[in-house]
Amino acid sequence: MTYLQDLVEGKIDFHGEKKADDIVRIVLISSTVFSFVLGFALGSLRVTMGTFALSTLVLSLVVLPPWPMYNKHPVKWLPAQESPSKTK
Amino acid sequence: MHSIYARFNGLSALWSTCIVALLAAIALSSFVFTANTDGKIDVVSLKVFNTKAKRYPYKESELAFVKFNITADLRPLFHWNTKQLFVYLEAEYTNAQGVNNSVVLWDRIVRRKEDAYISQSSRNKYKFRELSESFKNVSPAEFSLKYNVMPYVGVLTYGEAGRTTGFDMPEALDAVS
Repeated sequence: MTYLQDLVEGKIDFHGEKKADDIVRIVLISSTVFSFVLGFALGSLRVTMGTFALSTLVLSLVVLPPWPMYNKHPVKWLPAQESPSKTK
Repeated sequence: MHSIYARFNGLSALWSTCIVALLAAIALSSFVFTANTDGKIDVVSLKVFNTKAKRYPYKESELAFVKFNITADLRPLFHWNTKQLFVYLEAEYTNAQGVNNSVVLWDRIVRRKEDAYISQSSRNKYKFRELSESFKNVSPAEFSLKYNVMPYVGVLTYGEAGRTTGFDMPEALDAVS
């Protein structure tokens, strides 16, 4: 059960979060511009929508699954302590 | 962005913004294209007949029949954002009461650039009838070929491809029995 949960969660570390966010922002904006220019040059709206859809698909394959490149800097947890003594 | 869901959420937010920006850019790009369309309208014959009005067999009504030849090259209007063209032939006149009338006599939907060369020799598709039932004392009718460019994304634009001089509406003849 936990295997399924981990699979659905797809956890990545904090550096991976930043990497994924950067990739999304750069690829989406540049593919918008690129697909508009390409379609305008070739005179076909289908080319524009096709390239945009294709790049979105490729982007989701790159960013959504928890690839190892997003887990290069795992969080260093401190060693477990005894239950802390309460001092009031 | 720990979970797949969180990453998908962030991706979809920027993606919808990008899609809207892309569609706005496509809509704005329509204004860049200009087209020079030339058309010619020849009115071959124009006749008016006395008929009985539809649905009211006791009422007299006048119906006009037009035969025309139209040629127009509308292919320059097709750019990447043109979905289809709506081409129509209109008769414009001012009736005896002073009201301006524009009657659509013929129309066609053009979906491909290859079909956009209009060369048509036919009669009016739709009834040419005056609301006051008579074409007596009506101003000379001008026939104009107009088009409407329907984009995939953006505003509808209209234009005129050709226009004739005024044609006097003839006297009503009795219908051939």
